[in-house]
Order: sequence, then C-alpha cells, then structure tokens
Amino acid sequence: MSLSQMKKSLTARIVQEKIYNLLTQGMRLDGRSPTDIRPVSIVTGLVEKADGSALVSMGGTKILVGIKTEIGSPYSDRPKEGSFTVNAELLPLASISFEPGPPDERGVELARVVDRGIRESKCIDLEKLCLIEGEKAYILFIDIYVLDYDGNYYDPSTIAVLAALATAKIPKYEVVNGKVQKTGEYFNLQLQALPFTVTFGIIKERFLVDPQLEEESALDVSLIIGVDEKNNIVSIQKNSPGLMPENLLEQMIDVAVEKSNQIRRKFIETLNLKI
Amino acid sequence: MPLYFSERELVLPGQLLSDDGKRSGEGTYVLGDKVYALTVGFATIKNDKVCVIPIKGTYNPQPGDRVIGIVIDVKPNGFEVSLGRHLTATIRIPDKKEVQALNLKVGEAIYASVKEVGLKGVFLEAGEKIKKLTSGLLVDMHPSKIPRLIGRRGSMINMIKKETGCEMLVGRNGYILIKGPSPTNEFAAVAAIRLIEREAHSQGLTERVENLIKNILGSGVKDERTEFEAGK
Amino acid sequence: MREQNLKLVSEEGIRIDGRRFDELRPLKIEIGVLDKSDGSAYVELGKTKVFAAVFGPKEVHPKHLALPDRAILNCRYHMTSFSVDERKPLGMTRREIELSKVIREALESVVFLEEFPRTSIDVYVEVIQADGGTRTAGLTAASLALAEAGIPMADLIAAVAVGKVEGHLLLDLCDIEDKYGEADMPIAMAPRLNSIVLLQLNGRLTKEELKKGLELAKKGINEIYQKEREALRRKYSGVSPVEV
Repeated sequence: MSLSQMKKSLTARIVQEKIYNLLTQGMRLDGRSPTDIRPVSIVTGLVEKADGSALVSMGGTKILVGIKTEIGSPYSDRPKEGSFTVNAELLPLASISFEPGPPDERGVELARVVDRGIRESKCIDLEKLCLIEGEKAYILFIDIYVLDYDGNYYDPSTIAVLAALATAKIPKYEVVNGKVQKTGEYFNLQLQALPFTVTFGIIKERFLVDPQLEEESALDVSLIIGVDEKNNIVSIQKNSPGLMPENLLEQMIDVAVEKSNQIRRKFIETLNLKI
Repeated sequence: MPLYFSERELVLPGQLLSDDGKRSGEGTYVLGDKVYALTVGFATIKNDKVCVIPIKGTYNPQPGDRVIGIVIDVKPNGFEVSLGRHLTATIRIPDKKEVQALNLKVGEAIYASVKEVGLKGVFLEAGEKIKKLTSGLLVDMHPSKIPRLIGRRGSMINMIKKETGCEMLVGRNGYILIKGPSPTNEFAAVAAIRLIEREAHSQGLTERVENLIKNILGSGVKDERTEFEAGK
Repeated sequence: MREQNLKLVSEEGIRIDGRRFDELRPLKIEIGVLDKSDGSAYVELGKTKVFAAVFGPKEVHPKHLALPDRAILNCRYHMTSFSVDERKPLGMTRREIELSKVIREALESVVFLEEFPRTSIDVYVEVIQADGGTRTAGLTAASLALAEAGIPMADLIAAVAVGKVEGHLLLDLCDIEDKYGEADMPIAMAPRLNSIVLLQLNGRLTKEELKKGLELAKKGINEIYQKEREALRRKYSGVSPVEV
C-alpha cells in the first residue's frame, strides 16, 4: 500500500510563492536560470572493494554508487544473457526526512527509474555477460546510496551509476571443462549507451530543471525524462501528485534532449572516456 | 588559581580550562574540582566565571526576542510555530474566535515576540503582536551570526538596507525577510548576509559588504554556468 | 581460504602492509562533509572509510517516547552493500544491530543528555568501505559529528582496535590481520577522563597480553585524539567569536 507522504514540509508558503514569482521572471533562488543544472562533480574509485564506484555531487546532493559482481544463473527466459539489478537507499544521514529501515517507496522508485533508463537504452551488453548458456552468467549488483539530500536525487544517481559502470573493472571468469573459474584478470564493460535523466519541476504553467530542496517543496509535479545519445527517450516518470499541463510536455522533452547532451559531453570529458 | 586558556581562545570538548571548580560557568562542566569545556567554542571570563561560547550553539530564546516563525499546526486554542533548527514555539490563545480571527494557515510565516521560556517550552505573544508575512524573500542565517548582521547600533543592517534599497525584517532565531524593488536587489542583500556569515569575525567587514553590494548592483547578477569538475 | 605460505608479520616484525607493530594506518579526518545534517564527519583509516552524521537535539516522534529528564540518543551503524568483499545483502545484520548498540552506549557515556530533556539526538554511521576497525573509526567519526553539531560532551572519543596476529600484538588491525589473527580487541576511550567507553574482545589473550594490548591501544588512541583535535581546529581556524 502506498500512503500519502506524511512529513510536514517546513518550507514556508512565502518561500514557495517566491519561487514561483521568480520563475515568472526567469529567475531562481540560487541565481540559476530555469534550465540551468547545478554544478556536478564526479569522483570514481573511492570504494576499492567495489568493482566500480562513484561519488557524485550535484549542488548539495551527494550520491554514492557501488557495483559488485557475482556469478549466478541467467534468467530462464533469457538464457544467453547476464543480468543486473539496481537498488537504492535513502540513507537517514542524508536528510531528516529519511527514516532508517528498509528502502521505502521513494527508494524503490529511484532504483526502478534509474534501472529503466539503463535497461531500455541497452547500455550494458548483457549477452557479453553470459558464460555458459542457461547456466552461468555475471550478475551486476548496482547499489545507490543517497548521502546528502538537497533535492533531485534522480539525475546525480544516474550520473553516478553510469560513472561507476564506465570505470568498473569486472573480475574476469573463464569456462574450463564446463566450469567457471576466476582468471585474475579484469575487463571493462564497454557501455553501449549513456542514458542521462533530466528532472523537471512544474509549478502551474511553468517548469524548471534540477530542483533543489526548497524548490521541490513548491512543485506541483515533477517529471523525470531519460534520453540516450541518439536522442531517444528511454525513460519517463511523472512523480508526485498534481496536474501537469499537457502542453508543457513537448517543451520539456526538447529541454531534456538538450540538457542530457550537455551532461553527456561533460561526462565523457570529465571521465576521459573514449567513445 | 591558574587558567589554561587565553581570552577568546578556541577550545574543544573536554579541554581543561581552570583548576577552580567554583568558577565553572556556562558551557563548562566540573570534574574533580577542575573546569572543562563542554562544546567547541570560545573560552571567556564572564562575571568571574569561566564560560565557553559555543561555536554552533542552538538559538536560546529570551523573552522579548523578535522572531520569524512558520506555522506548523493550528489548534482550537492556538498555534504551533517552527523557529527553525528543531525549535518549536507555541502561541496560546484561550478564545477560539480569536484564533479564527488571526486566520493563520499551516505554512504561513509570522513575525512575533517571545513571551516566555520555561519547562513547558517557548511561548510567543498572542494578539496584535503577531504580524503575518505575506511576501518577500525569506532566507536563514545561523542565529549566532545575527548580532553581526545587525552591527553596532544597527550600523551593518542599516547600511545593507540603504545600499540595496530593501526592507529587512530580522528574526533573532535566524530567519530574515527581505523585500526589495527587484529580485536583483534582494539577491544583493542575500549575498551580503552570506558574506557576513562566512566572515563574521574579520576586520573591515562593513566596507567589504558595502563593496560587494555595489559590485552586484553595478554589474547585474553574475551568470552561473554549469561546471563539471573531475574529482581527485 | 588462506594461502599456505601467507605470513602476516615478517621476521623483522614488519606487517603485511609495511607497518610496524605499533603503527596506525594513514588517518584522514574531515569535518562538516554532509550539509543537511547538524554535524558530520568523514574518517578514513587506511582503506576503512566511514561517514557519520548527527541530527538534533530535536522533537521525539512519537511524543510518548520522550524522556522528561534527558534526551534519548539513537544510533545506527550500517554498512553499504559494496563495503565488504562479498556483497552484503540489504537490511541490517545482527552484527550491525549489536555494533549500533555498543556505539550508542559509548557515545551516551560522554554526551550530557540531561541538557536536552524531551528531545532526541540521532547518530548515523555509514561504512562505505570496511577494511578492519569500522566500529572504532565509526565511533571516532560520530564523536566528531557530535562536536560539530554543538552537542555538549565531557570529551571527544578516540577509538582503535588492537589484536594478536601470529603471536604478535599489533595496533590497528586491517581486515586480513583481523581475519587470520588470533584476537581482535576494539577499544574506545575518552582520553581526558582516562576512561574506557567501549571494549570488546574477540579471540584469546593471556592476562599479560591484554595489559600490553591496552597500552598499545592507548598509544594509538592518543595519536587519533590529537588528529581529531587538529581537524576540529582546522575546521574552525579563522573563525572567531562574534561580539554580542
């Protein structure tokens, strides 16, 4: 059962009204324009015990992602493929509004939205992760932890997952006499797509990109759009209750394409990827 | 009796300050007749007592303080108001009609005075002393820096008001309401507040704040572009 | 499985990572790393990496859990799934529940809870990489986060583990030494108070070894305590009091 969010918002109405008021003039509380995203920083390899890891901050929001590989059986309906699962936890140290305990619906939603973009864009070549058809394959566990929450954990989580995947060194196994064994070598995942998400906040008839915490409290609705490098839309999630004016969708898609390209260019440059 | 600190020295929890247990003041504790610091803060002598002024102290409301709060609950006999940083205050109004007359809703901001502080919590004055805040830019600052924002006899705040052309309402609890002729003027006032917050201690601050405001209003608000940076 | 010829301490008394018996791993401390909390710290001891954050004192929910004469202190010690060699399943393990309790009790022994009746102080320790000594690094970080949050404390806490490996008493065990050693003894102290606030032993020691181990731990604890104080001073250098 999904319950209405019970937490009392401590953001004053006067601030929410100001956010809208500024937006009508093309301005925001932190000096950004409506379509500016906050500064992003990426640190990879912080967790050496993970096969890939990234600490990403987007403004005041910090996300830690780690990847672990195990050998398991392929799904019976996809015997020639390896697999991956995405989990997310909103850690209580990130915000007073996050409770300790198993991932709640917000964490599950975050994991599934990030998963969807990665899966639908065919970012990971799952066939290459199969060792013995129907029997043995690599399974990637991609775990997202929100460490510090200042609004919009979707976009930095996607960036962190892609950074961890792009820089991962997966322990290589080989098949010897029908059995899998570790070779002591490592391989790169060779990503086939880079699907970045762009999160929109909508207030009345206007929208902004990458809402920070105070802005989130003023939103009627938010919308997350994932776009791959061929400008295909690979994931969408309308999030939070409220009415979204239909005529905004097309504009937001255009902005999502533009912003995801901007993020992708900088991502490739920052991580020095050869793509 | 010797003291183990110089005036206004930064001290840390558990740091020995004096051998004379009787001189233990605010922010200190006594163990084996010696005085130690309780928090990170600045050691000082107040009325012959050894005290530590906490560096990140919570706001301690005093009767008469003017504060800005946000209504978090409306009850038949009054309101509950958040003063920020986990601090909640109550407004007690015995007359139900008076509660309705104030017409305050959850989420609305008010300017009010502290009436009393006791075991049962913090109480704000009721009645006409409550002013509803309906527009403007509400920002917050660490309460310990508010005196610096005001300055000696209001010198700092008056200069900011004059230079930015904004009206400013300062809550002792750290909330500040800014209302100016344009967002740019309001943002200049916010920039001034942030500079004071960062450099509350330094010399010649008034002049630097003044220059900052002049720079912003002279050249317009800086255009912040998205920057990526590689980590270490 | 341990390799047959793996030797953790050489003839010359040098450990597998090049340290001597009484040497700490490189220690890095940062204070105020998570903005949305009231106080936070990051501690790196070798490859052990830990965040801690504090919220409060704040109202207790539900209200009937509040205590009339003091604050309640809640603590959660948790490890990310990828912090260990074999992926840790999501959710709290029995080990994490126990460590949350001993860390909480260590903190309660120095925090002046009676200063904040009817409130709660929440402490979260998040291990992002575990290479031995996570509870002690976590406790060190938690104590610094409390200090940054301005919570009154009798002293900072500094903590480290000592252990016995191939017959040698060693300071600050890394994971492999802990795994294949004969004993592991995490200790936390409030150094100014000459008091122990956490003490556990897993393994076997003679009475003499226990005594020597405690001395060795105290040496490490004093070094950590100095580093904690330096980190706090660094954090607040250049900050001076506001005229009131």
